[in-house]
Amino acid sequence: MKKNRGKLIFILIFIFLALYFLYPTYRDYNFTQDLRKLTGKDSIEYLDQHEAAMRDAKSKRIKLGLDLQGGMRIVLEVNTLKLIEDLAKNKDDLFTGLMDEVKAQAKASPDEDVIDILLARFQAKQVRLSRYYGSIRDSDDDIIKRLRDETTNAVDRAKEIVRNRVDQYGVSEPSIQKQGARRIIVELPGVSNEKDVQELLNSTALLEFKLVTDPDIMIKVYDSIDKLLAGKPLNDSASAADSAKNLAAQKTDSTHAADSSLAKTSVSDKQAQEQAEKDHPFFTLANPMQGQNQGWSGDLFTAENDRHRVDRILARPDVQRLVPSEVAFVWEAKPRFTADGKKFFALHAVKKTAELTGGVIVNAKATIDPQFNTPVVDMEMNSEGSHEWARITGANVKKKIAIIMDNACYSDPVVQTKITGGRSQITGMADAEEANRLAIVLKSGALPAPVDIIQQVTVGPSLGEDSIRQGIWSAILALGLTVAFMVIYYSTGGTMADIALFLNILFVLGVLAAFKGTLTLPGIAGIILTVAVAVDANVLIYERIREESVTGKTLTAAIDAGYTRAFTAIFDANLTAFITGVILYQFGTGPVQGFALTLMIGIVASVFSAVVVSRVIIEMLIERGKHVSFG
Amino acid sequence: MRFFRKTSIDFMGKRKMWYTISLTVILLGILSLSIKGFHFGIDFLGGTEMIVQFNQPADVGRIRTLMDNSGFPRSELKAYGNPNTILIRTLLQGEGTSVADRIKAELQKTFPDQNPRVLSEQKIGPKIGSELRRNALLAVLSSLIAMSLYVAFRFKFIYGVGALVALFHDVMVTLGLVSVLDGLTPYTNFEIDQNMIAAFLTIIGLSMNDTVVIFDRIRENQKIYRSMGLMELINKSLNETLSRTIITSGTVFVITTILFFFGGEVNRGFSFALTIGITTGTYSSIYIASAIVLDYTLRKLGRVQQTVATPKPHYETANK
Repeated sequence: MKKNRGKLIFILIFIFLALYFLYPTYRDYNFTQDLRKLTGKDSIEYLDQHEAAMRDAKSKRIKLGLDLQGGMRIVLEVNTLKLIEDLAKNKDDLFTGLMDEVKAQAKASPDEDVIDILLARFQAKQVRLSRYYGSIRDSDDDIIKRLRDETTNAVDRAKEIVRNRVDQYGVSEPSIQKQGARRIIVELPGVSNEKDVQELLNSTALLEFKLVTDPDIMIKVYDSIDKLLAGKPLNDSASAADSAKNLAAQKTDSTHAADSSLAKTSVSDKQAQEQAEKDHPFFTLANPMQGQNQGWSGDLFTAENDRHRVDRILARPDVQRLVPSEVAFVWEAKPRFTADGKKFFALHAVKKTAELTGGVIVNAKATIDPQFNTPVVDMEMNSEGSHEWARITGANVKKKIAIIMDNACYSDPVVQTKITGGRSQITGMADAEEANRLAIVLKSGALPAPVDIIQQVTVGPSLGEDSIRQGIWSAILALGLTVAFMVIYYSTGGTMADIALFLNILFVLGVLAAFKGTLTLPGIAGIILTVAVAVDANVLIYERIREESVTGKTLTAAIDAGYTRAFTAIFDANLTAFITGVILYQFGTGPVQGFALTLMIGIVASVFSAVVVSRVIIEMLIERGKHVSFG
Repeated sequence: MRFFRKTSIDFMGKRKMWYTISLTVILLGILSLSIKGFHFGIDFLGGTEMIVQFNQPADVGRIRTLMDNSGFPRSELKAYGNPNTILIRTLLQGEGTSVADRIKAELQKTFPDQNPRVLSEQKIGPKIGSELRRNALLAVLSSLIAMSLYVAFRFKFIYGVGALVALFHDVMVTLGLVSVLDGLTPYTNFEIDQNMIAAFLTIIGLSMNDTVVIFDRIRENQKIYRSMGLMELINKSLNETLSRTIITSGTVFVITTILFFFGGEVNRGFSFALTIGITTGTYSSIYIASAIVLDYTLRKLGRVQQTVATPKPHYETANK
């Protein structure tokens, strides 16, 4: 009848829509299969021809979750504590003490909001926040509000920067989302190079250009440190430069001796070495390594194992008093190797405040230096940066400028002339990959605060394929059994229900494709469960119809009554299951959300297909005079 | 074709016996939980977990010794699917993925000819773990409450209570059985992780499904058979819906069993919980939910009986 024709058209529209949304998935599958069969030149030609279409299909297809595709999922948390610490001015000992307390408490109770802890600690010591943040007139509440805004802002900026980096790294369909106040969830399908990704995401990417301190100044400083540690008086008559030279010569001599005559390690050499250690404790650890014919570079060299010892020495308050206030120390990023393969790190003394920071970099490219065949990163600055750079280089010709990234020095070239083009270059990377990564993080900008990786999941692709196979097989088996059962138990009615069931699954997949949802392994389980729910709805209706026909109603009347009476039960029952799905979606993460999604879509689809679709089909059959039996 | 001709089983008659059985099973479950504790998965505890595949069957003993000696005592090793694959888990937290890297390096060193390949790897910090735990608990509690409120709203208040007790019963029984069977055989290694929580929520949803269908029938019958005694009415409703209940639950049962055997490692705990859950869900809808409604109403009527002179015309007091 008329009303059924309307419903039928409605249903056909849905079917058409579902097929339309699922088509890209089918196309993408075909493309991948075809590409797999081709090799070499053929495959490149194929890609050229179909590239646009392939990209289109890939973007519109059903997304597979990480557990089906393989890939990485990383949860980053922005270290707001460091951010707050960096935002403070006029930091003094009181501030440092308070921050230590805040850090300790934040570690002890990780769930508590860092800003709340800060406020509590400051108030406990009755210190006003305006002493370190904002201006005197600002109340604690104002400052707290501003800190919170800064934090949120920082997290948003971090998210954009992460997105930039991931995009440039070249992942197809990455997903980057903010979670809560401080977290960023990054999903990278198909990626398995963990080291690379970690470093890509982790590095703060703070680029600084700092002037290297004059070696003449530093040698005096180093010498006084050395004397302090040796317990000698600080104004020893021996010239600092000479003693350094002597020590360096001694070291090279003894190394030479050891090299040339491995057999006879003369006792006297060893004794001389021990004496040198006692006389010059600092220089033994951090050797100037002065060449015979060159002037001293200004850098000290430390063996890999001694680095932390040198750090400790430099951190001592009595040593710090000997160091001029505007001098800071920075290690070189990459080790250097001696002839016999020992690893040494260079220590540079630089001016504490940076002349220029990475904010002025607008472009960075990783290339290979043709002269030395080493990887380099070429950088371009904006106009403001170019002016500054010209000024800095002009004022410091023949001096060295250290290029420092995340507090590690990559190179310290000598300024040859004033640079006006706003160009600069970083060298000193290990390989082309590192150069590439560096270029990416430079281009995307420095993170406003450091991020920690608090969760990382890597699924290899083979596990994903296995999971897909298992999921599909169990789905087919479950579906097959259900279909068979419905036909046997409910005869014609059962067949109708089966048709509705297939349409059901089609709808679920179609909706998933239309809303760009993600299918996970639990999601497939959700679809299988939907089959069960759909069966339930049909069973309710058919049992009801059987009951009604027993009471003597005509077939049409029984069908009518069956559908109407069963509806309240179907509605209530499925609504409760739907609510469960909503709650699960809200509280779950990742694959569990996939399950909740397919469950919810499935419930709606199965109610629709049971109540509307199968009824339309059955009534149409009756119109044509066929007898519909319900077993 | 029919499985059930017209049945007239007296469900409510023996309800005291069923109460006792349920209580016993729940107590056993609680006992097992207090002895074994909750076996949490890495989701909730934090730590590092990886699935490693070798060329030959994994030598669990040697791997365990290796783990112990490399500074990972109390690590957990489980078979994962086939004998060549093993799941390694340690609660140790380290910087970034240093833990995972160390384990990988050690395995590579000790079994170089076996080509250990890492199929999947997970590292979860403690903060996320405790958050997920809290969320899971909230999810379960809020769904229990939401369901019962909905039922109390659509039917009468006591029905909400009955539904809540039935749901609680289902969760406890399933939890108990999962705890008891955990670790008994290599195929039944169950742990409470996100998937398991999803299973519990699904059980709550499906059990509610059953319960509501029965309540709906009771409500309908009350309108039709106004003078029937409540116990008789409930029995009648249960018998009428029996066919539907068994078939639906049976279908879900078969489906979840298929999922258990063929659905892969990931879904194993999930499908097991569902299989148990659907069974207790059906049982609880029939025996627990309706029985509670009956007993509460009878007791209320009994009190009313004593305070009101004339008995209410709608129900007769039960004499059993």
